[in-house]
Parts: sequence; structure tokens; C-alpha cells
Amino acid sequence: MTFEELKERVGGTTVVDNPEATINSAYTSDLLSDVMGHCGDESVLVTIQNHLNAIAVCTLAGIEAIVLCHDRQPPDDMVEAARREGVGIMTTPLSQFAVSVKLADLTPSAR
Amino acid sequence: MAPSEIVRRAVAAGMDGIALTDHQSARNTPAVAECARRAGLKCLYGMEVQTAEEVHTLALFDTVELALEMTDWVYAAMPKRVNDPETFGDQPVVTWDDDIVEMEWRILAMGCRRTIPETATKVHELGGLYIAAHVDRANHSILGALGAIPEPMVESEAQPGGGKFFDAVELSRTADEAAWLPKVGDYAVTRSSDAHNIDDVARVWTEADGEFSVAGLKAIFAAKATRLSPRLTSF
Repeated sequence: MTFEELKERVGGTTVVDNPEATINSAYTSDLLSDVMGHCGDESVLVTIQNHLNAIAVCTLAGIEAIVLCHDRQPPDDMVEAARREGVGIMTTPLSQFAVSVKLADLTPSAR
Repeated sequence: MAPSEIVRRAVAAGMDGIALTDHQSARNTPAVAECARRAGLKCLYGMEVQTAEEVHTLALFDTVELALEMTDWVYAAMPKRVNDPETFGDQPVVTWDDDIVEMEWRILAMGCRRTIPETATKVHELGGLYIAAHVDRANHSILGALGAIPEPMVESEAQPGGGKFFDAVELSRTADEAAWLPKVGDYAVTRSSDAHNIDDVARVWTEADGEFSVAGLKAIFAAKATRLSPRLTSF
């Protein structure tokens, strides 16, 4: 799935585009230690964690895109880091569960 | 942020005491202790423990030794992953006169596996103060992560002071005290700079009448006798 396809699925608004993204799996979590321990690469992270450390975890785990739920807006430092690290960010008014349902045919991301 | 410069700024701003609380580590407390001693500034030594709940909490001690013992206890429950300075930044351990001794290899930006109850028990066993950090912030705060300030189900010897995990709660430099006081219940409130760069040292502070030590602050917190500096409305 591309970033654009993901955006259509979840009714997202792009904050940081990632046209290069290859998204084969998804992981939903708001605990970054859990994300780092279990989320695999080529994945999208569904979360409400709108801060800089989320990008760092994406870089470590190979996560290509973040869907920020409940329209949580990323702060400037998060946006800047996402651009630098090549991680896409979109916001959606949907909840984590609602986004997960929309992505139910993706493989659960795991490591 | 060199310890010598932190101390210099704090003295210049008229602070009587400061606390050094790096994220997950007190390894720079020996350096700041020596700087503070030379400047005649009072200092508490500690760390900002990011718990398993991904909540930021402050552990403060009277001595460097206790702060380092706390650090060992937290390190034992940290992910065994090597820091990537390009992602998370450098993590130098320095001397009082600004030499770099080594680079800490662990990722200190991550949480540890210790829970809030476990951490509160450890801090109090070591004779320290345990403070919920920047409770007004959405991320990494106890109210943001858990929605409320948890309290022990059963009072124990390790949890003196009315059976609470926390001795006080901290408001960030921009928090509106009047708006947040009703949300923190029966806790003393502090405000501190949470300075992540040198220009932020001592921009906000907490005043009280008493001794700047763990025992002194415990008494001040028990009486809820703190007075906060004005918040910053722009920075």
C-alpha cells in the first residue's frame, strides 16, 4: 500500500508526505516501548503519540508512516524530524480502533 | 548544557537551590555537585525516571551516591539498545570542569520497565522525594497517560506520607496554576524550568520557607506551602 492509498482508507490529512513508503503491515499502540519491541518494518503505526520520540522509534523499527488519531496535531519538532528521517505523518479524526478496522486486511506487524 | 554553566546561570538568577534531573540517569550529578559546592549553591541530585507507563517522574535525593544508586536500579530495567546519537542526540558524561569522560551507550530516551508503584517504593526506600513531572502536559505526564494520579491501595512502610506514591506534582513553565490546581487534588504543587537548553535555566521557579533538602521539602510539601513563580506565556 502506498501513503496515498493509506490516506484514502483512513480519511487522513497529510502533514508529512512519504511517496516512497511501502506499507505491508500495521501496528496499533500508544506505548512506544511496546512499538519498539514488537512493530516490524515496512509498516504503519496507528497511535495518538504526537511527539518527537515517536519518530525516533519509527527510525529504529523501520516504520514508514504514522497515522495520528483523534486529529492530534504533531508539534513542529516532530514534523521536522519526520521530514529528515523520511517518515510520513497523517492525521485523522478517527480513533485508533476505527483506523485499525479500516486496515484490517493488512498483516499485523510483528517482530 | 555544561554543569558549570547551569550553576552559573542559577546563581546569577538568584536561585537558592537547584536539582539536576537528566532523563533516566544521574551520572552527571557528581559534576554538578562539585560546581554547586564551589559556587555555594544548594543542590539536589536525581533523575527524571520514565516509568513503564511512559510517565515522567522526578526522583530527588540529598546525595550523589543515592542518585547513582537509583540510576543503577533504573539502568537494570532499561532496554539493552545502543544509543544512536544522530537520532536521539549525544549523551555525554562530563566532569565539573567540562571535560567529556565518556558517552553513555544506552538509549536514555526510552522508558524503563519499572512501574510507578515500584519506582515510588524504591525512591522512598532510598530516602528520596518522588514528584510527578509536568502534569499539565499531554505527553509523558501522569494525567496525560493515566488520566488520574494513582494512589496505593494499601498503605505500607515504604509509602509514608499518607499513602501516596508522589510527594508533590510539578507544573511546567507555561501551566496556568489556577486552572491546574483543581485537577491535581491533594498534592503540593511545584514549578520548575525543566530546562533542556541553557537559556531556560531558572526562567521559572518555586518559592518556600524552609530548608532546601529532602527533609525540608517533604515538610513544605506536607504543608502545601509552596509558591510558584508566574508562568511563561511566550518563549
